[in-house]
Amino acid sequence: MVQYNFKKITVVPTGTDFIDIILSRTQRQTPTVVHKGYAISRIRQFYMRKVKYTQQNFHDKLSTIIDEFPRLDGIHPFYGDLLHVLYNKDHYKLALGQINTARNLIGKVAKDYVKLLKYGDSLYRCKALKVAALGRMCTVMKRIAPSLAYLEQIRQHMARLPSIDPNTRTILICGYPNVGKSSFINKITRADVDVQPYAFTTKSLFVGHTDYKYLRYQVIDTPGILDRPFEDRNIIEMCSITALAHLRAAVLFFLDISGSCGYSIAQQAALFHSIKSLFMNKPLVIVCNKTDLQPLEGISEEDMKLVMEMKAEAMKTVIGQGGEPTSEEGVLLTMSTLTEEGVSAVKNAACERLLDQRVELKMKSKKINDCLNRFHVAMPKPRDQKERLPCIPQAVLEARAKKAEEAAEKEKRKLERDLENENGGAGVYSADLKKSYILANDEWKQDIMPEILDGHNVYDFIDPDILQRLEELEQDEGLRQEQGADDDLEMDGEEMTPEEQEALAEIRKKKSLLIQQHRIKKSTAESRPTVPRKFDKDRKFTSKRMGRQLSDLGLDPTFAINRARSISRGRKRERSLDRTDDGADAMDVDAAQPNKKLRMRSLSRSRSRSRPPSEVVPGEGFRDSAQKVKALKIAKKSVKKRNKDARRGEADRVIPSLKPKHLFSGKRSIGKTQRR
Amino acid sequence: MPQGDYIELHRKRHGYRHDHFERKRKKEAREVHKRSQIAQKALGIKGKMFAKKRYAEKAQMKKTLAMHEESSTRRKVDDDVHEGAVPAYLLDRETTTRAKVLSNTIKQKRKEKAGKWDVPLPKVRPVAEDEMFKVIRSGKRKTKQWKRMVTKVTFVGPSFTRKPPKYEHFIRPTGLRFTKAHVTHPELRCTFNLEIIGVKKNPNGQMYTSLGVVTAGTIIEVNVSELGLVTPAGKVVWGKYAQVTNNPENDGCINAVLLV
Repeated sequence: MVQYNFKKITVVPTGTDFIDIILSRTQRQTPTVVHKGYAISRIRQFYMRKVKYTQQNFHDKLSTIIDEFPRLDGIHPFYGDLLHVLYNKDHYKLALGQINTARNLIGKVAKDYVKLLKYGDSLYRCKALKVAALGRMCTVMKRIAPSLAYLEQIRQHMARLPSIDPNTRTILICGYPNVGKSSFINKITRADVDVQPYAFTTKSLFVGHTDYKYLRYQVIDTPGILDRPFEDRNIIEMCSITALAHLRAAVLFFLDISGSCGYSIAQQAALFHSIKSLFMNKPLVIVCNKTDLQPLEGISEEDMKLVMEMKAEAMKTVIGQGGEPTSEEGVLLTMSTLTEEGVSAVKNAACERLLDQRVELKMKSKKINDCLNRFHVAMPKPRDQKERLPCIPQAVLEARAKKAEEAAEKEKRKLERDLENENGGAGVYSADLKKSYILANDEWKQDIMPEILDGHNVYDFIDPDILQRLEELEQDEGLRQEQGADDDLEMDGEEMTPEEQEALAEIRKKKSLLIQQHRIKKSTAESRPTVPRKFDKDRKFTSKRMGRQLSDLGLDPTFAINRARSISRGRKRERSLDRTDDGADAMDVDAAQPNKKLRMRSLSRSRSRSRPPSEVVPGEGFRDSAQKVKALKIAKKSVKKRNKDARRGEADRVIPSLKPKHLFSGKRSIGKTQRR
Repeated sequence: MPQGDYIELHRKRHGYRHDHFERKRKKEAREVHKRSQIAQKALGIKGKMFAKKRYAEKAQMKKTLAMHEESSTRRKVDDDVHEGAVPAYLLDRETTTRAKVLSNTIKQKRKEKAGKWDVPLPKVRPVAEDEMFKVIRSGKRKTKQWKRMVTKVTFVGPSFTRKPPKYEHFIRPTGLRFTKAHVTHPELRCTFNLEIIGVKKNPNGQMYTSLGVVTAGTIIEVNVSELGLVTPAGKVVWGKYAQVTNNPENDGCINAVLLV
């Protein structure tokens, strides 16, 4: 189903804004740098792009305007007429037509100038053509500026139109000005329409929603209508007429029987008869309002006659719907919005009749067969005389019975309050507290509790210094526990020599130290890279320290230190003679007459022929060279060390220079310091 | 979603916000500072546009101020009679001075014979040949250079057919052919889009005239039958001369002034 939502139309910019938007967009979104020295095709292309881009943007923006504004012929006739009444169809169409023309003109301009740009032979000429093209497009836009302004105003107004769904269940309220239409809608919906004691307070349609029998009804409040020829009616009245003419709704015709609205019943009846053609085929209810001022029975006879005439007319609508001519209910109703008397009755009657009519219509329509086909009510025939009762398991029956019993009990249970009322009310009745005691035997409940029994009172069983005694007990227990712990340790300070004691203290100290260290390590282990032991960040594993520790233990560390150093140092190159001990001579020798001996020797010492690593040597256990290559690769990979010492690598984030020269020196033109 | 004039309704019911007017006043007072901030910060084309707008506003303001100043100060009334002012008893008369028109046409005819006009653009920049034509290389090896393409706007008559390409010395590209011109009537002060009938004279030379090249200063003949101009004898004028005032190849259109 088509939803009528005019709130989502995009904003229509004014003429100058439009031009600014488009041109700045062209400036921002197309390249800006071009030079004389470029190939002419490139220059042409540069400017052609600008022209085409501008045209495209104009086209897009104008197209959205044309597409988004509703086409008056295409939408529901109610909205079509309403928009016509409010904005004048001709003017509206003209404005949209102008936009369309402008779009075409701009397209033509762009086409012409792109064609001319193809013959541009210099940057100057291309640029001049581009300027002319954009200028002409802008001129076209300037011409349609008034249309754009008009459309923007319409857009804003349309956004505030009530969102009326023309196809849903609708109740329409109409009548003379000031008869209480808005008060009624305020009573039955949350529409919050302004109510004032003068005519034409409501200047446009208002919509509210109400519920009846779990169905939502749309209630439309219309401005008042005066009884005058159709041509003389103003825009405000025409809104009501449009709604009356096009919405298939239940119509509530409001009558002010007190005449406090300033119009007599005769005038209102005249209006009713002049617009009654609009009530055709709609459930019509005549509502006599303001009964608090003047009850229906109290009006004069002539007026009563007029009212009855109207009622007769309204009855025709009932008959037209195929209802029974005798059922008079829901045709003429009285109410008072001030005292809220009869308000809900009016609402209910209107909803009921509308629903009846809609169901009736549905039943008559062709589509009903599609629905009825889906319905099937099964009526099984009895196959014999045997009674077949439903089988209910015993457990279920019992459970049901129990439940019922419980419910009955609950209902039956007498409250203390009931008892109080029965026995003389508050003040007289004294509640029996004893009856709800929980005792082993119910008979004891009412027993009298003696103050003294067997020579004892309750107080005799109370110990005054029980807390003190408890404390004593606890102390005792604590003592015993301490003793037990010492027994477990089996090490008493008294039994040890002072040296032993010292050692013990040392051990304990060390233990606690180790625990501490471990804890620190553990707490930070997650968040830092593991540095292998051999890099020794904290200088923990130096030979000096080892020496200290060993001497602490009473060992001679010198041997161990020497050994450790000899390994870690590596062998220094000794001052040995060069292999080519005649090298010094070679340097002195002139290149022209090289030492024959030397040359001979260097030649004779050829590089030993090496075996390619992939060659399979018997005894190595490889099938072929491929396998060996693979094995070698794996071996190499396994030997490869990971960078676990957290050294700087190429994958690290790096800021090459903190003060890049190009950002801090030179002349400043337009722009910012951080982006040049 | 609120419906109707909900803002007005709310104001009607509850009045304005307690600080509405104060806020409004403050906002207005702040506006000047905001604008000056924008003026100082705006860069590039936006800045230029804004400055131009502001300048225009300021100039306008000064003008209005001066005008108000003028109205309050006393000064002498200048009794100059405006040109073309007519005494009251002649106001309703028809203003055509027929004799003058006649003499004008005679003058024009004489001038035409002499080949000279009193034209709005008496002197134009001469256009060099290499600017006017582009050399087109032809031949299988592109060695021949006798072909020329006109790079300016041309007018080509409706019945023109090209020569066979082998012999075509001057090519007038279709993209640069124009058939209409925007002609301004200097006395009526309005512009019409008229059809071109022919090129009368190109100031750069006879060859260009015959080629129908339209550059600034060219005299073209336009079809003015739509304007309904009438000769003193009562005939409808069909063609009239006009001088091109712009560079059509740069502007993409021909603007001309009617010679009367």
